[in-house]
Formats: sequence, C-alpha cells, structure tokens
Amino acid sequence: MASLMQEFTKGLWKELPPFRLVLGLCPTLAVTNTANNGLGMGAAVIFVLALSNVIISLVRNIIPKKVRIACFIAIAASLVVAVEMLMQAFAYPLYEQLGIFVPLIVVNCIILGRAEAFAAKNGPMASLADGLGMGIGFTFSLTFLGAIRESFGAGTLFGVSLFGPGYEPFTFMVQAPGAFVCLGLILAGMNYLNIWQAKRKGVELDPNFDAGCSGCGACKAMDKLAAQKKLERLETAKG
Amino acid sequence: METFLLFISAIFVNNIVLAQYLGNCPYLGCSKEKGVAFGMGAAVIFVTIMATLFTYLIQAHVLVPFHLGYLQTIVFILVIAALVQFVEMFLKKMVPPLYKSLGIFLPLITTNCAVLGVAILVQRKEYDLVTSLLYAVAAAAGFLLALILMAGIRERFEVTRIPRSMRGVPIGLVMAGLMSLAFMAFKGMIA
Amino acid sequence: MMEIIRMVVVLSAITGLSGFVLSGLKVWTNPIIEEQVLMNVQGPALKQLFVDSTNDPIADRKTLPKPGSEGETIIVFPAMKDGKLQAVAMEASGKGYGGDVNVLVGFNVDKDNLLGISVTTHKETPGLGSRIQDPAFTKQFKGKDPAKATLKKDGGDIDAISGATFSSIGSADAVKQAAGWYTALKDTIKTTWQ
Repeated sequence: MASLMQEFTKGLWKELPPFRLVLGLCPTLAVTNTANNGLGMGAAVIFVLALSNVIISLVRNIIPKKVRIACFIAIAASLVVAVEMLMQAFAYPLYEQLGIFVPLIVVNCIILGRAEAFAAKNGPMASLADGLGMGIGFTFSLTFLGAIRESFGAGTLFGVSLFGPGYEPFTFMVQAPGAFVCLGLILAGMNYLNIWQAKRKGVELDPNFDAGCSGCGACKAMDKLAAQKKLERLETAKG
Repeated sequence: METFLLFISAIFVNNIVLAQYLGNCPYLGCSKEKGVAFGMGAAVIFVTIMATLFTYLIQAHVLVPFHLGYLQTIVFILVIAALVQFVEMFLKKMVPPLYKSLGIFLPLITTNCAVLGVAILVQRKEYDLVTSLLYAVAAAAGFLLALILMAGIRERFEVTRIPRSMRGVPIGLVMAGLMSLAFMAFKGMIA
Repeated sequence: MMEIIRMVVVLSAITGLSGFVLSGLKVWTNPIIEEQVLMNVQGPALKQLFVDSTNDPIADRKTLPKPGSEGETIIVFPAMKDGKLQAVAMEASGKGYGGDVNVLVGFNVDKDNLLGISVTTHKETPGLGSRIQDPAFTKQFKGKDPAKATLKKDGGDIDAISGATFSSIGSADAVKQAAGWYTALKDTIKTTWQ
C-alpha cells in the first residue's frame, strides 16, 4: 500500500510532468491559452494514460518484444479514439477548442514514455497509480500554466474577469511566443528550486539534472550523435 | 500565386513549430548541432510527404466510403508507424548511403507529432491531394528551417555563460519564444 | 516461425478487440454527437432566425427525403408558437470563394416567403468574404419572395457585397437551393408538425 501511494505521489511533485519530467511539450504549449482548456486537455490525458497503463501492464507478458511499441501505439490510439468520441458527445465546445491536439494525444511522449518506462515492467495496480499520479500532475501543470497565461493575457481566470474592465490585456501571453517564454521561465524556476534544495541539504546535484526530456529516447540518441560528431570534428582538427 | 502564398504562409507565418506548436520535442532535443538538425529535418520532410500521401489516399478510398471516419486517428498512426518501418528497411537494402545519413532518425519520427499533425490538418482543412502534398512539403520545410536556426543559436550557447537554472530546456524555450515573436512579423506579408 | 505467428496473432487480437469496442462506443455516442453538433453549429443560427418561437427546434427536428435526389435526406427545423407551426428552416450550401458556404434558410409557412438567413459555416476570407455573415447582407433576405431572393445581376433584389462576389453568389445559391426544397416539400411540411 505504501509503495502504491509512492507511485501515485511521485507524479504530483518529484517527477511532475511536464515541469520536472519534460514530456509532452506540444499540448502543454498549444492548449494552455486558458485555464479551462488546460484542465480539459489534462482530463483527456488522465483517461488515456491511466487506462493505457493498466491495459499494457495486463498484457505485458503476452506481447512479443519485437512488436511491443506497435502494440503500445495501437492500444493508446484506440483509447484516444474513445476519448475523441466521448468528448464530442459530452464536451463538444471543448473538443472544438482543443482542435487537432485531441488526436495528437496518441503521440504525446508521456503516454508511450510511461508505457515503456513503467507499465511494461510493473503490475496493473502500480501502473494505475503511476498513470493516475502522472495524469493528475500533468493536469495540474497545464491548468497552472493556463491560469497564468489567461490571467495576464486576457485578464480573466476560467472565464471570470479578474482585474475589471480597465485592464489592458497583455496579448503576448496568449499567443505562441508567450507560451514558449512562460514555460521556459517556469522550468527555470523549477531548476532554481532544485539547485537551492540541493545546496541546503549539502548534496552534490545530479550533473544531468537539466538534460530534459528523459522519457523519450529521441533526445538521448540525438545527444549521443551530437557528441560523437563533435568528437570527430575535434579529432580531425587535431590531426 | 495561390501556391506561392500557401508556401510562404506554411513556412513563415504559420510555421509548424513556432506558431502551431507541433514537433517541439525534436525541436528542443535534437537541435544541438547543425548537421544533426539538418538530418532530422530532411528525414521529417521525407516522411511527412509520404505519410500525407498515404493517409490521404486511405482517408479518401477506405475510411470515407466505409463510414469509418471515427477511426482516423488509430489508422493514421498505424499507417505512419508501418510506413516508417518500411522506409527504413527499404533504404537499408536499396540506398545504403541515404540510410547512413537518415537511418537513425527514422525510428524517432513515428512519435513526432508534426507528421501526424500535418496528416490530420490537411484532412480538417479539406485540401485536395495536390494542395495537401504541397502543404506537407511547406510545413516540413518550415520545421527544417526552425530546427536549423535553433541549432545555429544552440551552438553559440556552448561558449556563453548562462545562469545555471536556465541551462538546457528553459533557455531553449525562451529562445523559441523570441524566434516565434520574430516569425510573427511575417504575418504582415500576407493579410 | 513460432515467434512470427505469435506476433501476428497478438497484434491482430489487439486491433480486432479495439475495433470491436470502438464500434460499440460509436453506436452509443453517435446520436449524442449528432445532437451536440446541431446544438453547437446550427443552434446559434437557429436562435437568430426563430426569434419568437417557444419550442426547441433541434429536439423537434424531422428528417425528410431530399427532393430531386434519391436516397438522400435533409433536416428540417420547425419554429412553433402556441403549438402552431410558424416557420421552418433548412440548411443548404453553395460554392463560395474558399469552399462551401452553409446557410440556414428560414421560411415563413403562412406567407411562403423568406423568414431570413443565417450563415452556419464557411471558409471565406476573413474581413472580405466573411461579411456574408453580417446583418447588412443577411437582412436583405428578410421577408423576400424566394423568387426575388437572387442577386441583382440575376434579376433579383439582393445587393452582392463588393469585393466578395463569389461569397455572395455562394450564399444566394444556397438560398435558391433551399427555396427549391421548400417548394417541393411545402405540403409535407405543413402536415408534419400538427
């Protein structure tokens, strides 16, 4: 029970996506122009992530190693189609607002990342806890970012006016550049907190703490390649 | 003229990374070196065109006639995954030099939301096949442009003093924000 | 060999099962989604057209056979007051500049003239063709005899929007199409909601 609790709570702070575990940036940036959209997107991700984690963990032993990614994608995609239909039926305006980012949940690296890193190795209960925790953490982050951008960019929060009619909206915040800058500053703030905590405890900080998207293999492979190319260049320069 | 406007709009004004928020993971992760960025961008152009072509044909000749439009997402992603696998095998056997330069990027592209994003976007915008393919080329070229620009700036980071908490992804995001702001200026070109 | 068979079996089992579940979900959600789309796309336009009706036009809608094309149907929305049918509306489309212009056309059943029109969806250029949504254009149709509700160049009474000729033609075509359906279905319509 204690360990289940641990799996659940790690998504809420220690590995909070996308602020600490840099996963699924596209929807994070795209749909957070209002707090409401952030919350809606988060809810859709909770549904897909929790269920895909449970299903994948249940079938993990019968899936052949070679086609496991294809199986994961098929399972996640089916759940996304289910979410699309449910959203159209019960939250049509939100579905229209989120646009193509509802079907794009399927390629959100948070889904495949958790499937590969957790659900494929753990039992269904632990996977459910992991999925729910990560999903709720993701929702919280998106709503938080959406609330910041909406309150500055439109002067409202969940559609309720905050500063009265005299407020001149800072529209930069609800447009694309604002999304990037805002998320960048929040991530920097999280890093600052990490460094400060490490200093206070007197521990040496993990040198890879700022490596970023730890979930999808893409970045790691790219990093390795870039380092390799640099080395080659250095060697040719020396030679 | 129409085609030209579509191109300019997809590359600059509605740049897929900087204005439509697609493909951010490789944008931030794979843009540390110009050569790598170019390889990734080229692979994405190739796969996006192929994926748009195949998904368009499947949508028009299978999903719509059989009223299976609701399965669009699952069919598209599986088509893209299979396509990427196939292209990889084909290049490995038939065009080894190309495989050597693009091969390692291919498996990473399945989960690049720009590819699936473009395939779904052209369906939602109800383009015809030729316009869809042109749009795919332009959008992927915009991706390549953003990636290379970013890589150029990133290479400078190596010799710059950046506050410790800003290093890595945060500074990349802030940079992306500034670039996106600069690209917004292109809006004046079409209006 | 065993491994390949296993891979194929597992993959097809997963896709087959999910296809089965999803088609079940589709059957369940389809009517709800249709209702939602009508409420969110046609709903606001209907509210604009039927100002003083007391019924819910979406709930009371009827699907009628489309005149002139075998096997196809159109949806007709009624406006009632005190249990009596006052007007009906149907959605028709015409080719605009950027794509189809969908227009909800309302007809007054007592006088057989146009109650008004309201654009539901279009892909016209913002600021130019999109002016077909503006009251300045749509109010021209109010109370018109359907025969006269064509553009001036076609002998009607409607002024096209300058700089948006194609969009205006598209809207007028939609009205003409709907008027044709109305004339063909008039008698059925008058007896359907009694």
